[in-house]
Amino acid sequence: MQSLEDIKAKIKDALPGLDCVIGWERGWSPLHGTPLFMRSPEDVDRLTWGPFNVGNPATYLTGFKGKKVGVVVKGCDSRSVVQLLQEKLVKREDVVVFGMPCEGVVDLTKVARKVGDIALVNAAVRAGGTLSVTTPEGMVEIPWEEVAADKCLSCQYPNALVSDHFAGEPLPPAMGRDPAAEQLAALEAMAPAELFAHWAKVMERCIRCYACRNACPMCVCRDHCIAQTRDPHWLTQEDSTREKLMFQMIHALHLAGRCTECGECQRSCPVDIPILALRRKLNAVVKDLFDYQAGVDPQAVPPLFTFQVEEAKINERGW
Amino acid sequence: MPVLAGKELRIVGFLCNWCSYGGADTAGVGRFTQPTDLRIIRVPCSGRIDPLFIVKALLGGADGVLVSGCHPRDCHYASGNFYARRRLEVLKGMLPILGIEPGRFEYTWVSASEGQRWQHVVTTFTNQIHALGPTPVKDVLGACQGLPSLKGGDRAVA
Amino acid sequence: METAKFLPESSLEAWLAELASSGELIVPRREGDAVVFGPYDPNVPLELSRDATAPPKSVVFPACEELLRYTYVKDAEDISKTGMSVEEVTPACGAVVFGARPCGARGFTVYDRVFDAEGMRDPYYAARRAATAFVTLACREAGSACFCHWVGSGPADPQGSDVLLTPVPGGYVAEAVTEKGAALLASPLMAPAGKHAGEAKAVRAKAMESLDTAQDVSPAREALLAAFDDMDFWNRMSAKCISCGACTYLCPTCYCFNITDEAQGNGGTRLRSWDNCMSFQFTLEASGHNPRPTKAHRLKNRVGHKFSYYPGIHGGVVACCGCGRCIRSCPAGVDIREIVLAAMERATAKPQE
Repeated sequence: MQSLEDIKAKIKDALPGLDCVIGWERGWSPLHGTPLFMRSPEDVDRLTWGPFNVGNPATYLTGFKGKKVGVVVKGCDSRSVVQLLQEKLVKREDVVVFGMPCEGVVDLTKVARKVGDIALVNAAVRAGGTLSVTTPEGMVEIPWEEVAADKCLSCQYPNALVSDHFAGEPLPPAMGRDPAAEQLAALEAMAPAELFAHWAKVMERCIRCYACRNACPMCVCRDHCIAQTRDPHWLTQEDSTREKLMFQMIHALHLAGRCTECGECQRSCPVDIPILALRRKLNAVVKDLFDYQAGVDPQAVPPLFTFQVEEAKINERGW
Repeated sequence: MPVLAGKELRIVGFLCNWCSYGGADTAGVGRFTQPTDLRIIRVPCSGRIDPLFIVKALLGGADGVLVSGCHPRDCHYASGNFYARRRLEVLKGMLPILGIEPGRFEYTWVSASEGQRWQHVVTTFTNQIHALGPTPVKDVLGACQGLPSLKGGDRAVA
Repeated sequence: METAKFLPESSLEAWLAELASSGELIVPRREGDAVVFGPYDPNVPLELSRDATAPPKSVVFPACEELLRYTYVKDAEDISKTGMSVEEVTPACGAVVFGARPCGARGFTVYDRVFDAEGMRDPYYAARRAATAFVTLACREAGSACFCHWVGSGPADPQGSDVLLTPVPGGYVAEAVTEKGAALLASPLMAPAGKHAGEAKAVRAKAMESLDTAQDVSPAREALLAAFDDMDFWNRMSAKCISCGACTYLCPTCYCFNITDEAQGNGGTRLRSWDNCMSFQFTLEASGHNPRPTKAHRLKNRVGHKFSYYPGIHGGVVACCGCGRCIRSCPAGVDIREIVLAAMERATAKPQE
């Protein structure tokens, strides 16, 4: 791929002035990409680009406070970078952004639904509209839209929204359907008690590993999360659904007006709890109330960081 | 009163010290009759209210939560209630996806002199909660008293 | 293992129902897109085609268990004094775990040396361990995150199990590993193994073949100690770690725990819950000081504990069962095999000063 070679050359040029550049390389299986921290030209040669670069490298940016780093981003990842810039959690002069047009990434949960145990996959290749996956039983060809991450099918920002170096021809927004919105609508169609019972049921298998939190690029409290403080004592150590559900609300509400919907929370969940719907609903509310989308404009002020004396969309309720 | 005729429900109220708490006091001094389902927690400002307080109360089994602060432009700290308004409105929009009826949570503004308005707010909200009935949260998650949830001792698997 | 029996596929449900009728039966179930252990329920689909995301460790070592309950009591004679009444909680236990893979069951042998050894017996653990039986399912094939053969195990390792099942065409060959297991095989549904015994042998040989060449990890014990102060090495190794607890909570051999009092009003309960060395709160001292302040220190602890410190105390036994869950479920793709190999390579490349 020419654009990958171009971006590698640009990274190599920029490396001497940077602590490292964050990107991806092949992980433990052909389906898994894994973060790559490039410090030497040899590291840069391992950089990959494609459907397996699933993780969001912006998650690591706040960990490099005071250092100058580079980051290779997909369009959705760049929204997280923009949001971090908006909140002044990362300084613009301290980050060099490398972008490339993204044709979408894979959702491994969907692949597992098609082929079973993904740990047995020997090879996986995407060619255009097909993902070919080889297991000991043989090769399966899966239409891309059946295994692409939900966010990719209707992606509005396939090219980095902010970048210092961009390689390749920018892509138009994706025009596919929006399965996540369909799921959200299905949840909202449920009766309240039934919906609450649904959340309690799916949260029961939560292991409280906090991968959803730690994979989130906007969860910047890191070691000081209120979920784990003893004073105030928001959550107990009990292994109860109540505590688990409360944590999801803590996470969701702390992301109000900040969530860039990269989907890392749900992707990271080792027990596949479909928690993204909570964030999507929150974003829909924020969009509706404040006509605002997180991580799009580096100059914009997040809606809960400010107010208007007369709110355009909030009706004072008569009592 | 129809409210008092039935079983009392649990409603948690977060009230701003500078206005609504005074308003409730005024209502009391004026001997305005009010339903008794509400339990008041006094806070320094509606801006102090983390939306998670409300979620915590609802997940803990409260049947309803009421927040009341100073009227907009009338905040003791100038802008606390403006921030609160945005946060609480977002929360109200968010609650349905959790499976909690948005009517279980309301926020409003009552000043220290508005005893009658306070009476009206409490009565209306209490009626609203009684119309919704007891929260389903307790049935689903179990009552939130007497820690723990007995997972370790009585059930082997998480 | 001369007591081999054969259980036809068609009798599996009947046998599970039989086991469930005589006590709690825990099986790998499909919940959403995940496979997790839970109580047997004929209406919830059983999932045996792949290893469960979480091992069955919580059956014997729960994620959270109540150790005692307490209440403060005012002294009626002298109201300035407050006494306390304490009620001990004894674990209710007794379960059969069906369908764990050998690695998941073998993990308990690592716990036994810590919680159920002469001179230091944890009554909660020991009671559950004694009352739990494991009917384990041998693996047919190794996945790309599997490395049980590196740590002295294999796809049909009976250690830690009571019954070992090997899938063969048309059913399972069941072999009792312990007396507890032999009792479970007394069911009339079990037929003599006959020709199936040979098939089972072939299945196991094929599974062993599907694993790549094993690495000898015994040098890691010294190599990791040698790398202890090389923070540059650990910073590189932990760069992509996001400090969540997925690896430790899903690990069949991680046993660190925390004890907290959860108070409510005048009473409360003392809970023991899983701790997790990836978390900042792990070993955080009351002063605010933490001897493991960064994720690099904490990942060093996880790898070091399994491949160096534990073997150092327990006669060279590696505290890892090679199941690969930490690799498969890591959101960032941290691979413990790479770290162990890198430490060993570092030790040979850089002779000790």
